[in-house]
Amino acid sequence: MVRDITLGQYLPGKSVIHRLDARAKILMLLAMIVFIFVAGNFVSLSLMTLVSLLVVLLTRIPLTMYLKSMKVILLVVIFTGIINLFYGTGDVLWEWGIIRITQGGIHNAVFVTIRIITLVLISSVLTFTTSPSDLTDAIERLLKPLTVFHIKVHEIAMMMTIALRFIPVLLEETDKIMNAQKARGADMESGGLFRRVKALLPVLIPLFVSSFRRANDLAMAMECRCYNGGNGRTRMKVLHYAWRDLIAALLLLAVFAAVILCNIVGVWS
Amino acid sequence: MSALIEVKKLFFRYEETEQDKAAPFALNGVDLTIEKGSFVAIVGHNGSGKSTLAKQFNALYYPTTGDVIVDGMNTKDDEHLFDIRKRVGLVLQNPDNQIVAGVVEEDVAFGCENLGVPPEEIRQRVDAALQAVDMYDYRLHSPDKLSGGQKQRVAIAGIMAMEPECIVLDEPTAMLDPQGREEVMAAVRQLNREKGITIILITHYMEEAVLADRVVMMDSGKVFLSGTPQEVFSHTALLKQHRLDVPQVTELCDKLKGCGWEVPACVLNEEECVTALEKLLSADKKGNVPCAVPLTEENKSEAETILSVEGLTLTYGAKTAFEKTALSEVDFAVHKGEFLGIIGHTGSGKSTLVQLLNGLLKPTEGTVSLYGRDIWKEPKKIRSVRFKVGMVFQYPEYQLFEETVYKDIAFGPKNMGLSDAEIDEKVHKAAAFAGLPEELLEKSPFDLSGGEKRRAAIAGVMAMDPDVLILDEPAAGLDPLGRDVLLSQIRDYHAVRKNTVLLVSHSMEDIAKTVDRILVMNRGKKEMLDTTQTVFSHGKALETMGLRVPQITKVMLLLQEKGYPVNTGVLTVEQAFQELLKHMTAQA
Repeated sequence: MVRDITLGQYLPGKSVIHRLDARAKILMLLAMIVFIFVAGNFVSLSLMTLVSLLVVLLTRIPLTMYLKSMKVILLVVIFTGIINLFYGTGDVLWEWGIIRITQGGIHNAVFVTIRIITLVLISSVLTFTTSPSDLTDAIERLLKPLTVFHIKVHEIAMMMTIALRFIPVLLEETDKIMNAQKARGADMESGGLFRRVKALLPVLIPLFVSSFRRANDLAMAMECRCYNGGNGRTRMKVLHYAWRDLIAALLLLAVFAAVILCNIVGVWS
Repeated sequence: MSALIEVKKLFFRYEETEQDKAAPFALNGVDLTIEKGSFVAIVGHNGSGKSTLAKQFNALYYPTTGDVIVDGMNTKDDEHLFDIRKRVGLVLQNPDNQIVAGVVEEDVAFGCENLGVPPEEIRQRVDAALQAVDMYDYRLHSPDKLSGGQKQRVAIAGIMAMEPECIVLDEPTAMLDPQGREEVMAAVRQLNREKGITIILITHYMEEAVLADRVVMMDSGKVFLSGTPQEVFSHTALLKQHRLDVPQVTELCDKLKGCGWEVPACVLNEEECVTALEKLLSADKKGNVPCAVPLTEENKSEAETILSVEGLTLTYGAKTAFEKTALSEVDFAVHKGEFLGIIGHTGSGKSTLVQLLNGLLKPTEGTVSLYGRDIWKEPKKIRSVRFKVGMVFQYPEYQLFEETVYKDIAFGPKNMGLSDAEIDEKVHKAAAFAGLPEELLEKSPFDLSGGEKRRAAIAGVMAMDPDVLILDEPAAGLDPLGRDVLLSQIRDYHAVRKNTVLLVSHSMEDIAKTVDRILVMNRGKKEMLDTTQTVFSHGKALETMGLRVPQITKVMLLLQEKGYPVNTGVLTVEQAFQELLKHMTAQA
């Protein structure tokens, strides 16, 4: 159940998208996100959606994986869609008491839904095609300038690596402890909010204790392998920009220009 | 051979606070030399100081007094720290907790990256290290999708990539199943033989220690015995005094020798034992003997049934692309008051099965009946089934959470809604059954020793007074004496309470000593269900399912194969001894 979540998972492959430099991918994703919000009308938004779909196809990852990552945020999509339905102006199509659905409302709902779906799609591309260590490595390098402000960039990146590594381990452990307490008659499914929170204690306390034990072990294992912070550390996989990163960036620039153009045209008409 | 590690008059105690300075030493004057290229096993019970010693070899701990010299460098000199850790790598017990990165090859590279090795060279070293432990094909996998044995081999590769002289393994197989244990031991032996890596193996599995060139036995922070496996294991009585064990074949031959029979000085494996016994058994007694005892037809009328399953099937992720059948069409009945063993390799469906028995999982098809009543008939009352069918999971000590041991044991009875007086009675009774001294009840469960925590957790389930008690690998990770004591306590509990007990275990020796009948699971199906003797006489069939028979039974089966008319339904060393004596006295 918890293990079915595909959001944030890495799926190894050899597609063009996989081979793009991780830093380039992060920067391009950020730019894409900005432009998905910049896109102000249906024409420019569908342009962004089309580009995102194209990128999705280029990853050569089965579409079912994207659909599964969509499943997690399905509720959010439906919720925002419905909320938007009731706000808006224009011709009233249907009315019941204070609830009123207008043409503008439907327009808004569809627009926002497409926007969120596009956002999730393109964000999944990054995590699906980039190994966690490339990702943290890229973040570390991109944030490097922040060391000037005494921000421990390497340490932050290492924490992210470890967190990503241990999330599945802790999820499995949570499952085990829950079963063990249920076998002792713990009732976690009924009762009010207060009772339910209290019923979680028999799971949370062992989970904390075990996390500390694991942290202790891991620290020792890292020491055994001569870990000494970021100084003098090399990497097996060195990130370097290639011509394909430049091409991708140029293509994106063209798309962004088109989006801006569509927006301006949209405003005029 | 020259010395790689020299330990000289080493005393050590954990000195984290002022009070600790008065504490006894964890290591009490250890003198030890590890030769380059050797394979040394360090054995000792839990708390004997063997793991503490392991952490001295690569300067994780420093001696309080005395010295540890690694390749001419004193571990007390901080300037040598990384040189020492580069030469001496340490592999820990828990396979999950020592893997840092989310992809196998990136984890293996971690050590090299820390040492500042150039990228191209790291690539080569990582590939070589993964090939050395036979994990190259898994280099792009995520560690959490691997089995315990595979994870442990990744951890070894991570050390290998640093090109060490020596690998110290601190109970690397304690949390693994037999197959994982074999994989790790094979990898370790190969590194020792083919790459000349010095191996220091900390273990309390005697079958692993016999593979070493030298065995060092420790107790109370001191070295008690040191020598070849033959020399060390010839001191059967002394080892037992120090809470250790010897292989069953060694014990058998030792017994025979004690009665004046001519047996080689120290027998360490099955083949040696069979050869030795052949000399004692008369050749003319050979003849055709019937093979494995046929499985008996299950006699249902004979005993009262307490728990039964019919057509039990469980499919995970039914109707999706990830559909996986964990259990398919299992039928059997558990007799009231019996002690049933459940065996099967990892992934055979036995864990799924036991979770179905107490309603933690709901079957996709089929029924589980308790006292002839389908437990899912009223899904709302499933909790009451869990009180009647108690379940002790693997490593149950990880579920302890209360302020005191007493409160923790009382958690189950409290959930049952019993009165304070009843709870009190149940807690004390359960603590006694689990062998937990009264004075520990008011302590915090987190202050107990590993073995005591295990007992407290088992008591927590016993306190619900279940009619059926299921124990999943209750003795995992305990040392030999701890394991024997715990098992005998469970047997006593069964004898006194006269309830039904189900024991899931990978240890065939424990199963043989304990249960009346065995259920064999294989690939999600019931393979056999019969008396312990009958099941173990099918040694060959069990082997094809990735299972073994107890070592002593194996010896008898080998003798039978060679044509000796010995009874193969032998389960313990004592029984084997009596059985052999019968044949040998006849000859004399």
